[in-house]
Amino acid sequence: MESLLDLYGFASVVLQALLLLARTVLLGSVVFWTLLVVPLGAAMPGAAHQLSGTARRLVLGAGLATLGLTFLAAALAVLALAATLNTGLGAVLGADFVRAALGAMAATVLLLLLARADGALEPLRRFGLLAAAATLLAAAVAGSHAMARTEGRGMLMAATFVHQVGAALWIGGLPALWLGFRLPERAARAVGQRYSPFAMAGVGLILLGALGFWLGYIGGVPAVYGTAYGAMAGTKMILLGLLLALGGANYLLLHRLESVPSGLLRVKRFVESEMALGVAVLAIAGSLTSVPPAADLLEDRVTWHEVVERFTPGTPRLTSPSHEDLAIPAMQAQLDAEWQAAQQRAAERPQAFTPGEGLLPPRNAQDIAWSEYNHNWSGIVVLLVGLAALLDASRKVPFTRHWPLLFLGLFLFLFIRSDPEVWPLGEIGLFASLRDPEVVQHKLAALLVLGFALAEWAVRLGKLTGRYRYVFPLSMLAGGALLLAHTHAIANFKELLLVELSHLPLAICALVGGCARVIELRGPDVLARRAAWVWPACLVIIGSFLLIYREA
Amino acid sequence: MSEHEITAPDEAAPGDPRQQEPALPHTSRPRRRAALGALAAPLLAPLLALGAAPLLPRPAAAHALVLSSTPAPGARLGAAPAKVVLRFNSRIDHGRSRMTLFGPDNQPQPLALAPETDPALVEAPLPATLGAGSFRLRWQVLAVDGHITRGDIFFTLAGR
Repeated sequence: MESLLDLYGFASVVLQALLLLARTVLLGSVVFWTLLVVPLGAAMPGAAHQLSGTARRLVLGAGLATLGLTFLAAALAVLALAATLNTGLGAVLGADFVRAALGAMAATVLLLLLARADGALEPLRRFGLLAAAATLLAAAVAGSHAMARTEGRGMLMAATFVHQVGAALWIGGLPALWLGFRLPERAARAVGQRYSPFAMAGVGLILLGALGFWLGYIGGVPAVYGTAYGAMAGTKMILLGLLLALGGANYLLLHRLESVPSGLLRVKRFVESEMALGVAVLAIAGSLTSVPPAADLLEDRVTWHEVVERFTPGTPRLTSPSHEDLAIPAMQAQLDAEWQAAQQRAAERPQAFTPGEGLLPPRNAQDIAWSEYNHNWSGIVVLLVGLAALLDASRKVPFTRHWPLLFLGLFLFLFIRSDPEVWPLGEIGLFASLRDPEVVQHKLAALLVLGFALAEWAVRLGKLTGRYRYVFPLSMLAGGALLLAHTHAIANFKELLLVELSHLPLAICALVGGCARVIELRGPDVLARRAAWVWPACLVIIGSFLLIYREA
Repeated sequence: MSEHEITAPDEAAPGDPRQQEPALPHTSRPRRRAALGALAAPLLAPLLALGAAPLLPRPAAAHALVLSSTPAPGARLGAAPAKVVLRFNSRIDHGRSRMTLFGPDNQPQPLALAPETDPALVEAPLPATLGAGSFRLRWQVLAVDGHITRGDIFFTLAGR
């Protein structure tokens, strides 16, 4: 049971993110099926029949995922609650969140039953699907942040509802739209054109919901950079801006620039990028469910001055920190003073934690120096990789196509530096050190870098083809999404938030870079040529951020 | 360590009233290693999916916060108040929330919650027999959206 509690905080966030993703696709696919495909049948019966099967399978797949994830998320919370209250499960099962989860599961089962039968979607079944979808969403709102608010609850519940409807209309329908592009070009274009009004309505509802969140959960600009909730919400809005740019380009290609060469293929690529960014947005949304709204955290926020100070470039730390380094005791003295002051402030305010949560120990100057050293050196490697990839994109410096080999430097750095007490730097032998799971993790990470470098190098040389080409961009995308999905401090632990603020731009760059590399690989040529410059530029930005990274 | 000093939520220093609380596992670890994980994230963005993600520092989170309390955190009082009152930023499921008082003898004493008068307010009468010493009030609440949160409020009674 202790393991369960230790896992509870992080696992609940991951489950929430996955559940949001599954539910959004489920709701979007229901709308796509009932409100886009069925009317399409009057004009293009063959295409509609084919697309109907696709949408139905999506509803079934996403429905099963939603059902399973709803159950898992509720079960985890029930077990954690029963464990912490030291009571039986029966006493916990009547809780509001359990009832909301049961409602959601019942609605999902109804959706699955209605989608089970193949064949034409008669009006009654259409109505049933839409009603069940609305019930599912209402149940989801009943288990959301808004339900627990003491003020503005009605407005926030409405905002949550319309926000999620908007996400379903736009982001949730993208997989069905993408699969619709398998149809012959005329039919695919018609599907795309009919999708546009749903996407536009989705954007409007998302923004309407966001306005409600701004009023009820955030409340002002200082909260955006001063709290974890605000920073994540701000990042979500940046990604929404990117999504709008892609959606706008698709609208132009589908409605205004129909004669552009390979126009539909461009739309398909943009839709793929929209899906990737959409997953990241939902990852943030899942993460946001775990933090208190910014409006509730009025004290101990990060100030604009602190943000500017942290992001002001300084001299990278490129020498190994040592006890002889005179800067270390000075930094430690400053940290000790800060810790005492923080303790004093904390004693005067009630603290709150999730069961199983641990606090980071007091900051240690030696550790910070090591962290900065690691980040800064890694920044050099990533910067060099980005620059070499930019030169490679110019096609004027042939040997730069070997840029993946630069990652070997990173492998050596990680392998040697990750655990200084272990061979070859320390006294503990390599095999003896492998009894420590953390050392194993670090060595595995280093070996993954090695494998990754060699694989991408082989791709560059044309020795690896097919799906292996996507290892690099998909890893960037997954990395970016995971950076956004990790959990956050409940209160405003300033230092953690400042570290997080410095990682958010990296996540965005990783996502944009991953999308660009996919476009470069999949074409069309006109997009690939431009995308070939974008992802190396993202790596240059990531490397630059790492090079100036500081923790104090 | 002063009696109102905040430590890790599930930890207690030796000789402290918190010591008897069964410790829950926590994630504290040497910071250098955690920092390496943090570095792995951006620098190995491409690799996160392949295994570096577990290295990320991830302090957990929740969102029922105490907005005000009686007694106040760190309060030094001449006599015990008749009841403890906690106001939260969330609606609370009173039936699935708890308060426990740890006195100078380190023994946990469950407090019976008063009937609900306000969805965001949790109250419990204090025993009239509290003597002088350091106390820790441990609260755990279930917000109606399903989030479990707990925390401690330390206070000292100087005696009558």
